[in-house]
Amino acid sequence: MIPLIQNELMKIFGKMASWIYMIVIVLAVLIAGIIYSKFSADPNPNWKQDTQNEITMLENQMASASGDEKKMIQNQIEQTQQFLDQDINPNAKTNWHFMNDVVVGVSSLVTLFVVVVGSANVAAEFSDGTIKQLLIRPHQRWRILLSKYIAVIIYALLLVLTLIVSGYIIGLLLFGSGDFNMKMFEITLEGRKVAIVGTQFLLKMVYFIPSLLIIMTIAFMLSTLFKSQALAVGIGIFVLFFSSTLGGIILMLADKYTWAKLLIFPHLDLTVYALQDRILEDITLPVSLSILAVYYAIFMMLTFFFFQKRDISI
Amino acid sequence: MSQFALEVKALTKTIGKKTIVDDVSFQVERGEIFGLLGPNGAGKTTIIRMIVSLINRTGGTVLINGHDLDDSFTEAMNELGAIVENPEFYKYLSGYKNLKHYARMALSDISEERINEVTELVGLENAINDKVRTYSLGMRQRLGVAQAILHKPSILILDEPTNGLDPQGIREFRDYLRLLASQGTSVLVSSHLLSEMQLMCDRFAIIEKGKLIHISSMHDNETSEARKVKTIEVELSNPTLASKLLTEHMTDVKVTSSKGTRLTLSVRKEQIPMINKLFVENDIDVFEILNVKATLEDRFLEITNKDKKEQMV
Repeated sequence: MIPLIQNELMKIFGKMASWIYMIVIVLAVLIAGIIYSKFSADPNPNWKQDTQNEITMLENQMASASGDEKKMIQNQIEQTQQFLDQDINPNAKTNWHFMNDVVVGVSSLVTLFVVVVGSANVAAEFSDGTIKQLLIRPHQRWRILLSKYIAVIIYALLLVLTLIVSGYIIGLLLFGSGDFNMKMFEITLEGRKVAIVGTQFLLKMVYFIPSLLIIMTIAFMLSTLFKSQALAVGIGIFVLFFSSTLGGIILMLADKYTWAKLLIFPHLDLTVYALQDRILEDITLPVSLSILAVYYAIFMMLTFFFFQKRDISI
Repeated sequence: MSQFALEVKALTKTIGKKTIVDDVSFQVERGEIFGLLGPNGAGKTTIIRMIVSLINRTGGTVLINGHDLDDSFTEAMNELGAIVENPEFYKYLSGYKNLKHYARMALSDISEERINEVTELVGLENAINDKVRTYSLGMRQRLGVAQAILHKPSILILDEPTNGLDPQGIREFRDYLRLLASQGTSVLVSSHLLSEMQLMCDRFAIIEKGKLIHISSMHDNETSEARKVKTIEVELSNPTLASKLLTEHMTDVKVTSSKGTRLTLSVRKEQIPMINKLFVENDIDVFEILNVKATLEDRFLEITNKDKKEQMV
């Protein structure tokens, strides 16, 4: 099995594009870093004093306000007070904030490139005709396909690593070394939540992996079943960019139709669970993971079953 | 070690209700070049793809060097090297990396020396580190041979190997096959180019409409025909008289055609001097007696046409 995986890695890295995708990720992180450092306010060393002043100012305003306006200002004061209570600088900017706010966003680029490489991996063997030479070897077909799948996973993990390492280094260069354990607010559907910035980043990356794996598996399956890279990449990108929208729509339907909760889309983006515990009353992380696991098993079985049976007549 | 490098028994392929390959059986002996001959669409490629397990068999068994493809798939496949139609490679990798790729897939270890040895055999040592993208079709064909023989298979299977090669390339290719066969590797080759097969094969099978309709050897063609009726062409001064004399004196000689001063005759070998004598004694000048060799093409057309006629009756 190891020589087969070696072969597949040689083919992935023999293509210039695979290297370019890595460079693009580093560049994307760099550009995002520059934008982040230029366009967001610099951290204020006297933030405690300023925040206190702001509260005093709001209190003065409230004195002269009436009715609804009073309530709104009261609310604002409470929120501002939280920064002081929790000792959180409202515009803190460290490399860990950069990682948590920006680098996580670049992860969809990783998924995109993994979809492209994953679909090309099988579809190109068909379109180039090399599949004929590949399958007349003393190896069962499922082993050859599995070696391809594993090689794509290795490439995917390498891209994730590229993202994290380049994010860390660029963050360090632009924003200096920050405190991993610094507290911060995350805005969630349930309101503001206190979180540890470093942990939060790691949590999002961990939750990103299953989504990456599933979208990659969908692309891999489509390119194996339909031998078409265009189709696999197209649907892969569609799933990547519209899953959150579709997921939202489906969740709205879920009140009316229970089965809609079982569709794959609401569960594809697990990073939501870094912010909140449930996406619906009865849907928590373990539920989403179980639903994804069932889809994963079905996709893998379809892929390997049809590849094993298929007549190669190109 | 089994007696045959390849044994195909009752091979059948049906798709829906259509039978594409119908009960085909044949054996390829060691060191033999065996041809599958037939018009396009006769089922040759399907037969070959079933043997190399690219296509599922509806029925029948395939034994490669005695290993059954069903029971011991990996052992059987390890005894086989193949080029299916045009050899396709990973164009963005060098020739060497392509060979390394296939070397890693063999069951036994293939050393660097073996890769170099094969590279030299096909004469690619100067281009082996270039990307395959830069190769000519002839070079790709040679790299195709290299990847097919890398693991020293018992049988080499080639589907339409000379497609797209220039005459020089075809000739080189034929020489490789002869060389390999002389070293004990058997070869199964398919083609619709009959003249090509004639130069390449020791034995051949004719496939038509998915059925194997004839197996014979090239040597049959040459040796046994000395005893059989053969075709000769004679150029002489008075063909009309000659025809008349022949019908009068030698009743079992058939004049099959006459064109100008040339007659085409069906005769047995021992009759040729007698005919010559007959003509000379009757003052007919004989300029030339030609032995018209039955080419594989003639035999092929003869056999397939006979089949068609039988069907029509």
